[in-house]
Amino acid sequence: PPELEQTLALLSSHRSVLGYLLLSRGQPVSIIRHSGVVFEGEHGKKYATAIGRMIESVQGALEEVSGEVNEGDEIRFMRIRTKRHEIMISPDKRYLLAVLHDPTT
Amino acid sequence: MSARLRDEIEAKRAKLQEMRQARIIRQRQDSERRATTPVKSPTQADINALLKSILGPDDALSPRSPDLTPASSVPGTPSLGHPDLPGPSSLRVSGRVSRISSAGSDRAGFGATLVHSATENILDRPITPKFTPDFIDVQQELFELPQRERVTYNKEIQTADTDSDTETTSDEEIREIVFRERETTVDAERTLERLEEESATLDREIEEEIRDLTEEEKISILAAPEFLDFVEQSSKIVQRALNDNYDYIRDYTSGAETGGDDSEGKRVKRICSFWDERYCKNRSITDVDWSPKFPELSVASYNKNAAAVNEPDGIVAVWNLHLLERPEFVFHSQSDVLSVTFSPFHANLVFGGTYSGQILLWDTRSKHLPVLKTPLSAAGHTHPVYAMQMVGTQNAHNLITSSTDGMVCSWLVDMLAQPQETLELVHAGHNKTGEVAITTFDFPDNETTAFWVGTEEGNIYQANRYDRAGAKAGLNQYDVYKGHSGPVLGLHFHPLIGPVDFSDLFLTCSVDWTVKLWRARSLAKPSTTTQTVSSIYSFDEADDYVYDIEWHPAHPAIFASVDGSGKFDLWNLNADTEVPVVSTSVSADHALNKLQWDRKDGRRAILGGSEGRLYVYDIGDMAIPRETEWNDMQKTVAGFVGGQTNGVEVDSRMLPNGR
Repeated sequence: PPELEQTLALLSSHRSVLGYLLLSRGQPVSIIRHSGVVFEGEHGKKYATAIGRMIESVQGALEEVSGEVNEGDEIRFMRIRTKRHEIMISPDKRYLLAVLHDPTT
Repeated sequence: MSARLRDEIEAKRAKLQEMRQARIIRQRQDSERRATTPVKSPTQADINALLKSILGPDDALSPRSPDLTPASSVPGTPSLGHPDLPGPSSLRVSGRVSRISSAGSDRAGFGATLVHSATENILDRPITPKFTPDFIDVQQELFELPQRERVTYNKEIQTADTDSDTETTSDEEIREIVFRERETTVDAERTLERLEEESATLDREIEEEIRDLTEEEKISILAAPEFLDFVEQSSKIVQRALNDNYDYIRDYTSGAETGGDDSEGKRVKRICSFWDERYCKNRSITDVDWSPKFPELSVASYNKNAAAVNEPDGIVAVWNLHLLERPEFVFHSQSDVLSVTFSPFHANLVFGGTYSGQILLWDTRSKHLPVLKTPLSAAGHTHPVYAMQMVGTQNAHNLITSSTDGMVCSWLVDMLAQPQETLELVHAGHNKTGEVAITTFDFPDNETTAFWVGTEEGNIYQANRYDRAGAKAGLNQYDVYKGHSGPVLGLHFHPLIGPVDFSDLFLTCSVDWTVKLWRARSLAKPSTTTQTVSSIYSFDEADDYVYDIEWHPAHPAIFASVDGSGKFDLWNLNADTEVPVVSTSVSADHALNKLQWDRKDGRRAILGGSEGRLYVYDIGDMAIPRETEWNDMQKTVAGFVGGQTNGVEVDSRMLPNGR
């Protein structure tokens, strides 16, 4: 659908964005779409597993902290600022959008 | 856990058995082939010795050992009924041994009998032709029966699963058996480990495979509506986060980075401009508004894109200061939207008035089509609706709209099917026509029943919504605010703020390049004869149509105007009444159509341009009024009034008494 393409093109054309990853959550996360040099091929797959693991572990930690089974809290947005880049992860029940960008540009 | 692994082990064993059976069948076929070919036969002595060495410790195994002489092997073997599994020559002896020793493990019972081994020994050496036919017979007879016995015997022996291919003598054999007994547990563990490893690798492989979705799945996912919603939502969030340029891990102690600090007091700065290729191209902005609830949201309405006939004629876009690349929300309309306003009492509603006279209501929670529409009937408007305003309080509010045929309608928010009341403004005493073509109107602060309208002929009139003592509903034809020589494009009453009340002052701007300041006649004493009211002051600085004008919400003496040459003028009456304090050329070749100060403190203003761009400007500290501003403003106004309305400036400070 063209709006989807447009939105994703807009996202990846931002000057500081290095690439994005659209994943579907599931026991092994699967890549729906990706863009950018960073997420090509094997490296992209590694990123995908890493991100999936991160989200699962943080969600698990949240659940631990909140105590009860009734989902007290859930991840809305995750922004990991590393020395070189920043990775922004926006999760959903079923899907995941991860964007890698360099904030210094 | 171990039970499961044991099951797995059994399954593996079964697999192994099958493999071995296949191998044995292959071997049998090979041996049959070989049997037909002449083979060297061993000497009797060798054979006997071999047999005894093997049979010695295994007396229990094969009570039929006497039968196992080569000579008697032929007839004797049938009773033994050993499974026949001739292995390859090098392995035959060992195979036999292993079968005996591994009797406990294999239910399939490869175990050949000593008879068979004997026969195999015969096979190993070149067989004299005379033995050959016997051999064949033996083999075929001895197949099924021994297996069962082997099985029973096997259980007692309890040897390990492994298939040892080493050639051994009887001692070694015993040793092997002992070793194997010891190794049973070790092997079991090893199998456990092996199985775990296998499952781990298999899982990894499964992961690898599932990682790449098939094309079909991809297409189905891409078409799912919740996926599209998810992408919309999350991409908006990510873009807002991307737009935040502050690097929060910046280290201020290291490095000499020069950060630009340009916050001057008197400067008017452009914060950003909103434009979207898809929605704003070839369109002009017709109205702008700030959101009362979310200070970062603003809305702009656009008219028709003449170049794209398939796109909707009217677009309303809600913009977020933090999301510069695309609108937060986009709403469609079938005809050009000429006026738009957020509902001050509902955070999600946006009203729009169109060229066709319809009033539309959009909800930010829904999609892009209007949630409610007024009917295109004579009950509502049938002419373009250029002005609308929401009046009232949270519990009792109305939307007042006006169109160019003089109709003023009042609507209830949830009942747009018909107006709550309509009012046709007719100028009864007019010498040419009674029609009042309203281009703009405004209510003074704190007033909900009397309002002032600006018309196409350049006059401003006061009108009442309802009958009241001394005045009837409709246009007040007696007070004509005459001054402009062209259509009045903007009218704004002074907001009621601060210690001094200037709310009877209003500003108008018009096509005749002027901005005029008026004092509204008091409603308490309605006039009964036609009177012409003149403006208090006229600002003639502009050299193009002045499209919009607005008082500042916080500072009593500041107002802004935008004109057709793309200039944004900021006036401060306490500072200078002839020229604007700051005149910014926003866009040199496009006009600015509309202007609105942000509601709270008036630091920012949005300007709508005729090329479809929405500019946001910040005036900084100029927005902050000092204590003295009100008194100064009083004096200024007094100066205006005292100096009459010929535009000649009289220094307000020279007049000792204000009004």
